[in-house]
Amino acid sequence: MDFRLTDEQVARRKEIYKVCEELDKKKPKSWLGFESPFDNEEGWAFHRYCAKEFAKRGWLALSWPKEYGGTGTMMDKVLLAEARGYYDLPGSDIFGISMLAPTLIAAGSEELKKEFLPKIANAEIMFCELWSEPNAGSDLAALTASAIKKGDEFIVNGQKTWNTGAHYADWAFGVYKSDPNAKKHHNLTFILCDMKSKGITVKGIPYMNGAHVYNEVYLDDVHMPAKYVVGQENEGWAVVNVLAGFERSNIDMVMGLVRGVEDLVKFCNENKRDGKPLAHDPMIRNKIADLAASVEAVRTLAYRVADQQNRNEMGLMDAAAVKIFASELLEKFGQISTDILGPYGQVKQSKFAKLNGTAEYNYQACFVPIVSMGTNEIQRNIIAWYGLGLPRMK
Amino acid sequence: MDLRFTEQQEILKKSARDFLTKECPKAKVRELEKDPKGYDPALWQKMAELGWLGFNIPEDYEGMGYSFEDLNMHIEEVGKNILPGPYISTVVNTFAIVAEGTEEQKKEFLPKISNGQLILTLAWLEENGQFDASGITLKAAHKGNDFVLNGTKMFVDSAHVSNYMIVIARTKDGAGEDGITAFLVDSKSAGLKTEVIPTIAADHLCEVVFKDVAVSAKNVLGKVDKGWAILQMLVRKGSILKSAESLGGLQAVVDMTIAYSKERVQYDRPIGAFQALQHKMSDMWISMGTSKYLLYEAAWMESEGMPSAKEASMTKAYINEAYKLVSALGVKLHGGIGTSSDHDVPLYYRRAKAADTVYGSTDFHREMVAQQIGLK
Ligand SMILES: Cc1cc2nc3c(=O)[nH]c(=O)nc-3n(C[C@H](O)[C@H](O)[C@H](O)COP(=O)(O)OP(=O)(O)OC[C@H]3O[C@@H](n4cnc5c(N)ncnc54)[C@H](O)[C@@H]3O)c2cc1C
Repeated sequence: MDFRLTDEQVARRKEIYKVCEELDKKKPKSWLGFESPFDNEEGWAFHRYCAKEFAKRGWLALSWPKEYGGTGTMMDKVLLAEARGYYDLPGSDIFGISMLAPTLIAAGSEELKKEFLPKIANAEIMFCELWSEPNAGSDLAALTASAIKKGDEFIVNGQKTWNTGAHYADWAFGVYKSDPNAKKHHNLTFILCDMKSKGITVKGIPYMNGAHVYNEVYLDDVHMPAKYVVGQENEGWAVVNVLAGFERSNIDMVMGLVRGVEDLVKFCNENKRDGKPLAHDPMIRNKIADLAASVEAVRTLAYRVADQQNRNEMGLMDAAAVKIFASELLEKFGQISTDILGPYGQVKQSKFAKLNGTAEYNYQACFVPIVSMGTNEIQRNIIAWYGLGLPRMK
Repeated sequence: MDLRFTEQQEILKKSARDFLTKECPKAKVRELEKDPKGYDPALWQKMAELGWLGFNIPEDYEGMGYSFEDLNMHIEEVGKNILPGPYISTVVNTFAIVAEGTEEQKKEFLPKISNGQLILTLAWLEENGQFDASGITLKAAHKGNDFVLNGTKMFVDSAHVSNYMIVIARTKDGAGEDGITAFLVDSKSAGLKTEVIPTIAADHLCEVVFKDVAVSAKNVLGKVDKGWAILQMLVRKGSILKSAESLGGLQAVVDMTIAYSKERVQYDRPIGAFQALQHKMSDMWISMGTSKYLLYEAAWMESEGMPSAKEASMTKAYINEAYKLVSALGVKLHGGIGTSSDHDVPLYYRRAKAADTVYGSTDFHREMVAQQIGLK
């Protein structure tokens, strides 16, 4: 076994960290964490700015095939995610870069690849995801929004929900029911659409902390050209599965935790209670050390996923394990850090706040990774059924 | 980066697995729990012939000279099977002689250990149950150039069948790290009395009473008064290797539980079809994954000679808890049979508790981590 990076990777990492450290200094004052790009204009502008900075260095196409403008390796992509996580930086469109691009590369037509990959790599367009509906969440295949083919267009009607960033995104990828008579899993079509299309209404839903993250999206006779279908007509479910199959190392979430523990240690060294530094409290020491060990455990497992990805091996089960463990560790981190702050644990970012209000933020924001991208229960099903070979729920 | 086992490691793992499956079935494990010696001398000899007792001994002293990482992989397999007796403690304690012994000591001890003729245990803990330096109170008084030991050591692995013990004693007044010395003491010395303590894993931990035990100056390990650093080294390496054993046990429980849940039928379906159990098994499997790479990282760092105190303590603290949690779930998911001493799962559940204080408890190691991550 060898946990070491190559000299080349060490150099690349240094370069990436340097760029990220500089970007960190340009964060808007209102910045709070990984959902901040969507909450206000300032956050979104910073997201786009960072994306442009990465794009001009070729960092948004890391690990893509050369013919589509690919640069670097999978490990370079991991290094960027690591640095972004550590500095809590946006700039990598989770929908465009992490989901759609690899899906297009694997299942898209040559025309779609040629049209969209350069725009994604250059950070010209940002995507959102129109999947979930009021009555189709975990059981996504139960969705009802319809796409009826008419000539070389689909006419789309229905309601989507929980769509992150739909109020800012330029384009969307969605799934719609295109054949009401076909069997489940052979009745859906995966289509890209311009969010400026006529008939799209976006209505924000406030997250529990009041932030504007996700939306309801109403589709009212929206015309979507058939050339924007990814994969085969009526076989959108297969495309959904291709997309879901791109395991993520989630190293950015893990590195956010690494940084969080560092900041908490610093805080406890610098702040006193009852005349003594908080760091002298044995209970606090025990809890933070426990957090630090758990963070290191999931960090090493995330590298295991990255190492597998880098070798083009499948690491789906390990990736699910990292998603579950890291997101639930974030929940625990939010609880412990708010506890340590005592009554200040409840204070929102303001002149009254300690740790810039990040403890209060994480206490609520942890449910974003826990519930989205396949809830942790769904991930546990995946591990049980496909990893452990236990009987699948009918 | 390459987080795969090497071919050589895969071979090592397989040979350990094959050997123990044949030579140390669970019936033997149960038998040895009741055996007064607590280990099987014939098996010990076979292990020595395979080189198991000399893995970490340099070839110059009749050992195999394997890397720490290889040893770690090997012990993980040992833990999967369960091997009663002072194997891991002898191997870990050997590091003290390899690293700190004089040429004379190395020549005297290492070939014997490697050939299976010398069981080496560690007399560290005392009745106060403390893991820190102030817990060391057993007195080693200077007598000319030599020493006289008086006091009591507790939880000494297999002291009653050991040939030598590394005794951690006070050679200077005070309670600090300075003034602690490590001695190599013949277990048959006059004035030394051992008694087996009944413990949860029936693993033959002993009380050892020292009454005017004479130890020659040539049996000081390292420098007089500077023995704490040697113990720290053993704690660090031992924490990693004991965690490897625990991870092996944890994996065995995960495998057994999944297999049983596919066989056992209730309500006309295998119990593994119940989602309440599926999610618990997923969690057990996740615990295994997070434990694994934390351990492998620590072992790799130790193998490469990098400072690894933080990672070793994180590993011990983390796997201590993971093993207890997973083996308890293992018991519960087996239902009634899982609570019976005839079943294998409780063998592991009991060992999870036994393992957690060896080389330092969870709380002790969390405190080590707290210091290492910069908490003032
Ligand atoms: C912050 C955030 C951002 C999101 N962003 C987007 C987005 O951009 N685009 C988009 O399309 N969607 C998005 N979602 C929606 C998300 O994908 C769904 O919330 C998720 O799939 C769960 O669906 P649901 O909310 O309908 O819950 P339900 O499916 O109703 O689940 C409710 C509970 O039941 C459990 N459950 C359901 N089925 C099973 C089962 N088979 N076994 C065990 N337990 C089960 C769930 O785990 C959960 O605990 C987002 C959600 C959040 C919270």
